Amino acid sequence: MPRVVIPVRCVKTDMRMPVPDTPTIARRQQIVGALRRIVPDGVIADEAAMRPYECDGLAVYRQIPLVVVLPSTVEQVSAILRYCNANNVKIVPRGAGTSLSGGALPLADAVTIGLGRFNRILEIDWDNRCVVAQPGVTNLAITNAVQHRGFYYAPDPSSQIACSIGGNVAENAGGVHCLKYGLTTNNVLGLQIVLPDGEVVRVGGRHQPEGEGYDLMGLLTGSEGLLGIVTEVTVRILRKPETVRAMLMGFASNEAAGDAVAAIIGAGVVPAGLEMMDRLAIHAAEEFVHAGYPLDVEALLIAELDGPQAEVDYLVERVAAIAARCGAACVRVSASEDERLRFWAGRKAAFPAVGRISPDYLCMDGTIPRRRLAEVLARIRALSEKHGLRVANVFHAGDGNLHPLILFDANRPGELERAEEFGADILRLCVEVGGVLTGEHGVGVEKRDLMPVMFDEVDLEQQQRVKCAFDAGGLLNPGKVFPTLHNCAEMGRLRVSGGQLPFPDLPRF
Amino acid sequence: MGDPLIATDEASARDAIGWAVSEKTPIEIMGGGTKRALGRPIQVARGLSLAGLSGIEDYEPSELVMTAWAGTSLAEIEATLAANGQRLAFEPPDYRALLGGAADGATIGAVFSCNLAGPRRTAAGAARDHLLGIRGVNGRGEIFKAGGRVVKNVTGFDLCKLVAGSFGTLAALTQVTFRVFPIPEAEATVLVIGLLEQDAVAVMIEGAQSPHEVSGAAHLPAGIAALSGVSAVGGAGRAVTALRVEGPAPSVVHRVAALRRCFAPLGEIEVLEAEGSQAFWREVRDVTPFAGDSRLVWRLAVPPAGGAAVVAEVGRRIEAEAILDRGGGCVWLATAQKAEEAAGAVRDAAATVGGSATLIRAPEAVRSHADVFPPLAAGLRDLTARVKRAFDPLGLLNPGRMYAGL
Amino acid sequence: MQTSFTPDQLRDPAITAADEILRKCVHCGFCTATCPTYVLLGDENDSPRGRIYLIKDMLENDRPASDAVTRHVDRCLSCLSCMTTCPSGVNYMHLVDVGRQRIARTGRRSAADRLLRWLLARVLPSPERFRLALLGARMARPFAAFLPGRLKALVKLVPPAARTAILEPRVFPAEGVRRRRVALLAGCVQQVLDAEINAATIRLLTKHGCEVVVAEGAGCCGALAYHLGREEEALAGVRSNVRAWIRERTARGLDAIVINASGCGTMVKDYGFLLRNDPELAPGAAEVSALARDVTEVLAAVGLKAAVAGAGTTVAYHDACSLQHGQGVREAPRLLLQGAGFEVRDVPEGHLCCGSAGTYNILQPELATRLRDRKAANVDGVGADVVAAGNIGCILQLAPAIGRPLVHTVQLLDWATGGPRPRVLDQANWLN
Ligand SMILES: Cc1cc2nc3c(=O)[nH]c(=O)nc-3n(C[C@H](O)[C@H](O)[C@H](O)COP(=O)(O)OP(=O)(O)OC[C@H]3O[C@@H](n4cnc5c(N)ncnc54)[C@H](O)[C@@H]3O)c2cc1C
Ligand code: SF4
Ligand code: SF4
Repeated sequence: MPRVVIPVRCVKTDMRMPVPDTPTIARRQQIVGALRRIVPDGVIADEAAMRPYECDGLAVYRQIPLVVVLPSTVEQVSAILRYCNANNVKIVPRGAGTSLSGGALPLADAVTIGLGRFNRILEIDWDNRCVVAQPGVTNLAITNAVQHRGFYYAPDPSSQIACSIGGNVAENAGGVHCLKYGLTTNNVLGLQIVLPDGEVVRVGGRHQPEGEGYDLMGLLTGSEGLLGIVTEVTVRILRKPETVRAMLMGFASNEAAGDAVAAIIGAGVVPAGLEMMDRLAIHAAEEFVHAGYPLDVEALLIAELDGPQAEVDYLVERVAAIAARCGAACVRVSASEDERLRFWAGRKAAFPAVGRISPDYLCMDGTIPRRRLAEVLARIRALSEKHGLRVANVFHAGDGNLHPLILFDANRPGELERAEEFGADILRLCVEVGGVLTGEHGVGVEKRDLMPVMFDEVDLEQQQRVKCAFDAGGLLNPGKVFPTLHNCAEMGRLRVSGGQLPFPDLPRF
Repeated sequence: MGDPLIATDEASARDAIGWAVSEKTPIEIMGGGTKRALGRPIQVARGLSLAGLSGIEDYEPSELVMTAWAGTSLAEIEATLAANGQRLAFEPPDYRALLGGAADGATIGAVFSCNLAGPRRTAAGAARDHLLGIRGVNGRGEIFKAGGRVVKNVTGFDLCKLVAGSFGTLAALTQVTFRVFPIPEAEATVLVIGLLEQDAVAVMIEGAQSPHEVSGAAHLPAGIAALSGVSAVGGAGRAVTALRVEGPAPSVVHRVAALRRCFAPLGEIEVLEAEGSQAFWREVRDVTPFAGDSRLVWRLAVPPAGGAAVVAEVGRRIEAEAILDRGGGCVWLATAQKAEEAAGAVRDAAATVGGSATLIRAPEAVRSHADVFPPLAAGLRDLTARVKRAFDPLGLLNPGRMYAGL
Repeated sequence: MQTSFTPDQLRDPAITAADEILRKCVHCGFCTATCPTYVLLGDENDSPRGRIYLIKDMLENDRPASDAVTRHVDRCLSCLSCMTTCPSGVNYMHLVDVGRQRIARTGRRSAADRLLRWLLARVLPSPERFRLALLGARMARPFAAFLPGRLKALVKLVPPAARTAILEPRVFPAEGVRRRRVALLAGCVQQVLDAEINAATIRLLTKHGCEVVVAEGAGCCGALAYHLGREEEALAGVRSNVRAWIRERTARGLDAIVINASGCGTMVKDYGFLLRNDPELAPGAAEVSALARDVTEVLAAVGLKAAVAGAGTTVAYHDACSLQHGQGVREAPRLLLQGAGFEVRDVPEGHLCCGSAGTYNILQPELATRLRDRKAANVDGVGADVVAAGNIGCILQLAPAIGRPLVHTVQLLDWATGGPRPRVLDQANWLN
């Protein structure tokens, strides 16, 4: 049974969220009091001070939470969840609030739990090559903590300067180095989780788990805060390669750049990163970092090659040759570590740098089969004309993970709606060519209503039954990921047809 | 058990489970049957074989992705990939010799259901890390899908991870989509001869901490090394510690030289080139040294630095032979004692470093009574049961395969 | 980001400026993690993005400053780390100043708080008044333990024996061929607290061929009052400075206005914006901003003489926020020190403020102390012989917490090029 849904107090007209529970809102004082007893110095109940929590990195959807609580110990998190579970109060977890899919969007009748105070690295275990961190530690802080001994944490979302490792786990974040080194899920060794009923459990450890029951760690990674609150993360760290070089390759068209990507991968080269930017994005990023990007090309590829000097030299040559064959207008190889970092700095700052050329943008995140790259880019351009909005492309080309940035001006009536329609068209296109709605940013509220484009009712019910196994009351981050909320008891019921083997041609003995 | 129902397509697999649901009768999900001796034995009246549901559905080498029906044989998949210069990077093992039994090869569905991996796991992950999308039939008799067919995807919960390593207790997989990788141009293995376990682990840690991208690190004590069919290993007469590197030829040459320089002061060095290296790692992958006898075989997953300590700890209580794989993070133990006694010693030892132990080889009678998989912590037991019910509310699929009563 | 100002509101130039800034913010959150207060407190409200939001809400709704906005904007150090981080080019500095002025006008503060702020704004910018106050404070120092929190912080900051000397307007001729003619901002607090810095600056500049003039009529840069939200008071000072320097430039020519306290440098470089709507002084202010240079920028341009002393001394270089974030000067001081033969080491978490931040250590002693101790641990961890910084505020703030001597960058450069060896290098406890 779909629950009734109503619009959030937000710009978007048709984004519907579960109806706030009036009795819960009526009990607000009592709930605030209970939370204050659990976290005396960390409850924000004042409306003005709750406002900065009303959205995450997707600022077009906004909602003031019921109350915000900032615990600093696992015991506090557990006590909050126990209280909420016992009193039927909803909860929205929040890390650094950089989600681009509205995963941390508050609800009017839910407690927002901010994990910003969990910002300590607990242990660095060099021999086992792992780091144990609290969930609020930023992704970059992990690399910063280990780089003096030549190590790093491989998944590097562009937002790594700010996003939290707990949020990375919740979203299964990726980054420019995921082509070779995997996503968050391939780099996490252990988690401590507080389940919706307040129980604290550990999965995994400092080893690569094997045969240790269902892979709950794999399930929790990417569960968008719907299954439990991550209170500790153990990640593996890797040794920095001997040599790392980045290459800039400029092309006269997106198509030529797209072909080069397919040719590089097709040749059996797996670069550590392979990224693409189009003209608008190149210009915006160049203005911020002065990386020396060529400004007279339509598309720019950034490839990173790592390994021993001999290997890197060899691969740089091969990639340069492929690029030349695909018509590259210019090829530049980083000559120093500084220059390499500058090549990347522009790419990593590209989304917000677009803020220099447009007041607002929506970032799409579909993944497509690489071979359809050129075609999809051309169709996005056509859509851009149809909707009358500019689009800047910055993306993980090696993975086929697109990030079209739809530029608009929220102050102009109607533009947001047009941007949203444009976005939905792009995502439908991705699914149509055999791809998916989201490669790394998560479904959140943004792509929630498009889930049926990819999954049928049975698929979605199967996922929701898993949700029920963790959270029968539906209290954790409701209204995200799933377009309709079902009642767990109802979904658990079995529809048995009854009777005999229902088909004749299955051999029976 | 009566002869199995044989699914020839997805619909017939669904109908078979649908029938089991309507009859409330448990059913055993089978692929090639090579891994029936893995896990707890199942006592059910009826099997469902998916071996007939076979064929490669989609494979575009430049996408580095393949989609195949679950019953496709691993051999067919590996041959097709090899013809295109590609492979499954997680090095799925072949336990036929170790476990005895079926002569037919494994199916790709079973490889993922059991989440197997070989020595490359530290560098490339296990089967779970490569599974991108699934189709399957749940315990309600419904066909569902999860994941996708592209390398990067976070649309919805990652049910692929749950199903990988669930030994058919959550769903009968009908189709899998997984990542494939180019076969590196060259490989070589550096052998350090004559190290004690503790020193071997130190060498393997150093190898892993080096920038040389070691893609396999194993240690065979003298008695086990002697069984190897690779002459440099079999004839070493002492313990052998092996480190593998793979990549473009010039890079392999460079790294072999670097590793040699690094470890020469510790012991005699030998280098295995292409075929020798491949043959050696096949033996490690398939645990061949333990294949010929009837001892219990355990697989311990531990923090790599704890590998040697665990072996020593077990050795204090019972007699055991050990192979260290994955840089010390995977310990293979063969024990001759009675199951309960061995289980106590092995599991306690694994626990001292926060690891776990799985009983990989044991007679059926032992596996039906003892815990095969590491017992679940209290907090996880109920959750696991609830997850199982979320897929299979009546408990029809491979009941008891992983845990008694589940 | 979307904003909702009415056309009526937008007639106020401060609101127009704020609107433009707000629209640039895309709410990405990159700035949160490099903000010292967010790092300490983990509350979105104590992050740049949160403050931007609070200010936006206050301005859009024409609300008097709520306690929340006052509390969280007061905690902002104005270190501008957020501006270095922001890829979108959001001018947080200008936005928070608009916010501060609104808070000063409409916020509720306790009487004690108002008094303290008034005192700071009145006393600090005037060297004479400050020197008198110092005398009082120095006498109060033994009784610091009995004073209430923030007053105690103020009194404790005063070094027991500062080398005071107030610079009168005059000209210091260049040695040898004159290559540049520069005006030196004599500063207010600095010259009272440590006259050595100005002395070293003048020696250094003159021996590198710069004629240095302390212009008649130029005084405090106005930053202290401005950041306390006392716009009018501050702008009066700004105007007289602009007049003084333009007068000097017109009469005898100026190649640069040199500032050796980076907090002041950031302010002077912003005069053009501050007086953008001043019908009379807008062009002059823009000219002054264009001429303003940190002392290290000038030295980097003229080139340093060969070093004769100090070689091999290890120096932990502390980036003052106003220099690294406010003015984007990071390379010049490092290169100069290296060029002079010092071994320069970077301090981990260099982007985080030491807690000095103008009057912050007086107004927010608890947070300032936590930041100071964190910074001190990072600096000491580097294990250098001496610590160099380009701002007096940082030096005063860190001195009591750091186990090694602290000097201004110019003091080391002066020593290396033939000037006196900084006295603090020879003192076990440099404060006494
Ligand atoms: C400019 C920009 C660039 C980006 N680039 C990338 C990129 O390259 N790759 C990429 O993958 N992503 C990228 N992102 C998206 C975003 O940074 C990631 O999704 C990140 O993982 C979110 O982390 P967070 O700490 O900000 O989480 P939040 O935004 O606070 O929350 C995200 C979700 O996680 C949940 N959550 C947070 N913490 C916890 C916890 N401890 N336990 C349980 N649930 C929790 C929340 O409920 C929410 O559903 C980018 C974002 C921006 C603004
Ligand atoms: S100026 Fe400094 S303290 Fe203030 S918001 Fe920016 S980074 Fe934070
Ligand atoms: S970094 Fe810039 S654009 Fe991003 S939230 Fe901060 S101020 Fe806004």
